[in-house]
Amino acid sequence: MRSSIRLFLFCLASQPATVVVSCAAGTLDFNRDVQPILAGHCMECHGPDAAARKGKLRLDQGDGLTDDRGGHRIVVAGKPEESELISRITHADPEERMPPAEFAKKKPLKPEQIEILKRWIAEGAKYEKHWSLVPPANPAPPAVANSSWVEKPLDHFVLAAIEAAGQQPTSRADRRTLARRAWLDLHGLPPAAAEMQAFLLDNRPDAWPRLIDSLLASPRYGERWGRHWLDVARYSDSNGMDEDIAHPAAWRFRDYVIGAFNDDKPYDQFIVEQLAGDLLPAENPERTRAQTVGVGFLSVGPKMLACDDPEKMRRDIVDEQIDTTGRAFLGMTLGCARCHDHKFDPVSTADYYGLAGIFMSTKTLTKYSVVAQIYTYDLSDSEHKQRWAKIAELEKQRDKKETSAEDKSRLSAEIDVLRKDLPLPFDVIGVTENPTEDTPVHVRGDYLTLGETVPRRVPVALSATASQPEMPKAQSGRLELARWIASPENPFTARVIVNRVWRWHFGRGLVPTPDNFGTLGVRPTHPGLLDHLARRLVESGWSLKALHREIMVSATYRQSAVADRAAKEADPENALFARWQPRRVESEVVRDAILTKSGRLDLTMGGSMLKVRANAYVDQGKLAEYEKVLRRTVYLPVLRSSGYDSQNAFDFPDPALCEGDRRTSTVAPQALFLMNSPLVHESSKALADTMIEKTSGASARERAAWLVRHILDREATETERLRGETFLSGYAPGDEAATWSAFARVLFASNEFLYIE
Amino acid sequence: MKTLCQNRTSLPLTRRDMLKRAGTGFGALALHALLARESVAANTPPPSLARAKRVIFLFMHGGPSTVDLFDPKPLLERDAGKPLPFDGPRIVSHKTGNLLGSPWKFQRHGLSGAPISELLPHIGSIADDLCFIRSMRCTNSRHGGALLELHTGSDTFTRPSMGSWINYGLGSENDNLPGFITINPSGSHGGAGAWSSAFLPARFSGTRIGSDAGGMNIPFIRSPLGDEARQRKELEALSAFNVDHLAARGPDTELESRIASYELAFRMQREVPGVQDISNESEHIRKLYGADQEPTKSFAEQCMMARRFSEAGVRFVQVTHRYWDSHGNLRKDHTRLSAEMDKPVAGLISDLKQRGLLEDTLVLWGGEFGRTPTAQGNDGRDHHPHGFTMFLAGGGTKPGLQFGSTDDYGFYVRENPVHFHDLHATILHLLGIDHKQLTYRYAGRDFRLTDVHGEVVKGIIS
Repeated sequence: MRSSIRLFLFCLASQPATVVVSCAAGTLDFNRDVQPILAGHCMECHGPDAAARKGKLRLDQGDGLTDDRGGHRIVVAGKPEESELISRITHADPEERMPPAEFAKKKPLKPEQIEILKRWIAEGAKYEKHWSLVPPANPAPPAVANSSWVEKPLDHFVLAAIEAAGQQPTSRADRRTLARRAWLDLHGLPPAAAEMQAFLLDNRPDAWPRLIDSLLASPRYGERWGRHWLDVARYSDSNGMDEDIAHPAAWRFRDYVIGAFNDDKPYDQFIVEQLAGDLLPAENPERTRAQTVGVGFLSVGPKMLACDDPEKMRRDIVDEQIDTTGRAFLGMTLGCARCHDHKFDPVSTADYYGLAGIFMSTKTLTKYSVVAQIYTYDLSDSEHKQRWAKIAELEKQRDKKETSAEDKSRLSAEIDVLRKDLPLPFDVIGVTENPTEDTPVHVRGDYLTLGETVPRRVPVALSATASQPEMPKAQSGRLELARWIASPENPFTARVIVNRVWRWHFGRGLVPTPDNFGTLGVRPTHPGLLDHLARRLVESGWSLKALHREIMVSATYRQSAVADRAAKEADPENALFARWQPRRVESEVVRDAILTKSGRLDLTMGGSMLKVRANAYVDQGKLAEYEKVLRRTVYLPVLRSSGYDSQNAFDFPDPALCEGDRRTSTVAPQALFLMNSPLVHESSKALADTMIEKTSGASARERAAWLVRHILDREATETERLRGETFLSGYAPGDEAATWSAFARVLFASNEFLYIE
Repeated sequence: MKTLCQNRTSLPLTRRDMLKRAGTGFGALALHALLARESVAANTPPPSLARAKRVIFLFMHGGPSTVDLFDPKPLLERDAGKPLPFDGPRIVSHKTGNLLGSPWKFQRHGLSGAPISELLPHIGSIADDLCFIRSMRCTNSRHGGALLELHTGSDTFTRPSMGSWINYGLGSENDNLPGFITINPSGSHGGAGAWSSAFLPARFSGTRIGSDAGGMNIPFIRSPLGDEARQRKELEALSAFNVDHLAARGPDTELESRIASYELAFRMQREVPGVQDISNESEHIRKLYGADQEPTKSFAEQCMMARRFSEAGVRFVQVTHRYWDSHGNLRKDHTRLSAEMDKPVAGLISDLKQRGLLEDTLVLWGGEFGRTPTAQGNDGRDHHPHGFTMFLAGGGTKPGLQFGSTDDYGFYVRENPVHFHDLHATILHLLGIDHKQLTYRYAGRDFRLTDVHGEVVKGIIS
């Protein structure tokens, strides 16, 4: 199936791990060398999908391959020349040769691949489970030559790979660079000048870990890292798809996520609350609210709400929930198994419908007729609920025509009393329970062609042990599913989140495909390190803040971005992490950083700007208005039917899709935004005005230096001071405000400002 | 037609100088990477296979009643008021009513004798240039679902729009312009879903512009300075900072690409206003589209704009005309909508033809579905995905063709069914792309515009 186009894509999209770490030269590794050939060329017809399987042969596992198949065997261990596998792929007759011509035409087996298969059989044809199905090992940090470089155990893993590749880590970044990196990385905001100064003056030996701790303790951290999770949770304030109605109180879920990061909520608990928070015991209403908001995760997905076929609607919503749950927590594409057994990973249609039963037993909508409506909780205190009901009643009376003016004012006064200190109704978007039902297999995904009913269950082939959690009769089983995922025994869960966190720190995961840990994903470049960190996470009580500390205190994290050409050419993708790879800040950070540097950022937290009734249509015309509110971008309403031009230009992901690996494109519309947008012009003007006021009487050189220091968090060079002077004389003679505004704009648009180093 | 591209202005910050100063020599690669990045243009099939280079999609939002426009049915007249003589669909928006004859007369046009309603005299006059598919169908009976199915191939999942796929497959014809522009699209029924690149790189997303001449702006294309000389000075200063920064860090393709992106932005800023300026279109062209009068003025200007973008090298231009959803008031509304749309569409196709552009420009006309031959109330028709008409022109399609048919009542497709997937496969084919080969790997799976479906409709290819 792999066409030349696809190969080309693969190079761009999936970043082939050019540097393979932890491989002793010469030995064949099944998962690294053999499995991709079988998966890429054979498993469409000889894989886990029973319906598509040809010739009763499956090559995704070793069972039966050495059986006598009427005088021949697929594999004769040690003897490639007697193995049918080899004779078929090398057959002289094109009719007999595998893969069949229609596949081979697009994606032929290469001679070197055939050689690998021969060698594999010669060496005994051993199968190994796909790496992500094997529970994390507890590898000892490998020995390294340059042990003085090491700060944390994780550095051993990184350095050992660097040394094995004959490379060296780069030097340590200077403190100023590191501080700016830490601020942008943990807060998504550059430091204020005073904060930077304070850090630079801190001479204590533990100044760096102290800085990390203080940054982690700030609420700005949750706003930044919560947004990362919101990408994965495909968060949106509106439904999108066919009918873009407002998600009732989705902002509470957003604030919940931000709060969870700020509170360092244990990640296992975070998982359980998002899948089944409504089913957890709670000792008080406060706790009920806090937990129930989490299941917004399952409701904020894109849903077709105007479908004349309610049965299809219901199943599509379930499918979206299964798929997002799989990708977000397990890095597995479970949705593939809706119509057929997964082609590459051990997930059967029966597994899928076992999960579907859990979600079919879960209520997401209150009505399925067009236009459908989303289920909402009202978790207000009962006293508040009563007051709201009373207010509604009084308002009705007051607004009647026949009510006298005197009564009207009396009623209004009464309403005012009731409203005093009355919080808004605590409405929450989130799923609840339906009557439980087991679901039959839908043949080819069609609900009119039903197969055998599958009891609700979890996909055990993905777990280390085959034991099924017991599914309750009177509950959907979401809680059991959530706990199965959130278990230290699940081989995926800790690895997936550790890898996400690594990806968000470094711009590249240890598994370069953070949303896919399946056989078509890219293998980890540092499997030992991934396992080490996964174990550390579980040992720390699933503390993400502990993980940040571990990573950021490491020597690996503190490397400089400066590297010579030879090092870059040897490892262009920085798969070895032998330097810091500068990366452009995300769309939110572009806006927030410009706002904060110009003194315009409003740090009000939480709540919603979307003043739209639940289940009413959102108005895309309001986006411009929302954007003018100068709060952090994470608080701008996200509409699926339309986005902010500024955010879209800088790769804000489609909010209907789970995205753990945002792209970073470099396109001209980004330049247009920085050159021409009102946000940049207004901000640069505000900053220039401030600067002129604060530096009255200063020379052009001093003013240029002020702006460089303020925006780029460093001292200006002599050349730059001079550049400011030249700029002042040539840009708009006589108009200082316009000149310095333009100079600020130049700095906002500069690569130095836009990259995390 | 390439005059706009050939007239590239000298660069405000010359790349050569910049790179000389940076002393890296990586620059050519950077600019190349910036321009060619991530499209599969490098694998573009031999041009001989491509019949079309670009697409203009005239989208009729709401679902025009093609049984009243292009697909006359004598039995529908005869049996008006009677129930449908066979089973209606299982899934419907509203209960299937009784047959409703068309209120309008049809006439055969041109040498091909295409039957076209009296509502569309101008389209009638170019009938021999058109290629009708009278056997279209899709699977969703609601606007949003059907609209997404038409634009992305899926009414179930979030998928890239066909304009995004085409740009991803073919790359840009003009680097100074976006490759996919959608003029005055609908915010409802999918909104951005109809022009989103979904999981394809963001640069393949459609650029949405407004409807009126003043509002048809690419975001941030105008400098608030209104002073090119000043902006040039800013960019020179920016370049100086960026070059110093780069020099201190050693070669870096991405940083260099970003430096180059300002050149490109500056060129876009110069070129785009000229492309967007329809004021210099001659009087006879304005008349041809109906831009000189009501009720055609607005849509005519949008169609003119579409031609200008297309001419300048935008791969996929969409214009939306709305709102054809005549559940009631069919007579009045379809009369009005037809009058707004007829002349601009005929004008656009004639204009493309006289400029020699129709040969390699594929024009597609149609809605997300048609309307039921059965009545809703006494003057309305419901949504109908089971059999309706779309037409194409140019780009390697057979002119004057009537392809496929519906049954005697215009209800179900009778012969040569063409699903949206087949339409997508055919459009890609005309552009020289094999729909099975145009794939993108997202989260571990290779995706296609046509998913696992789609057959090229060979019968409509000339």
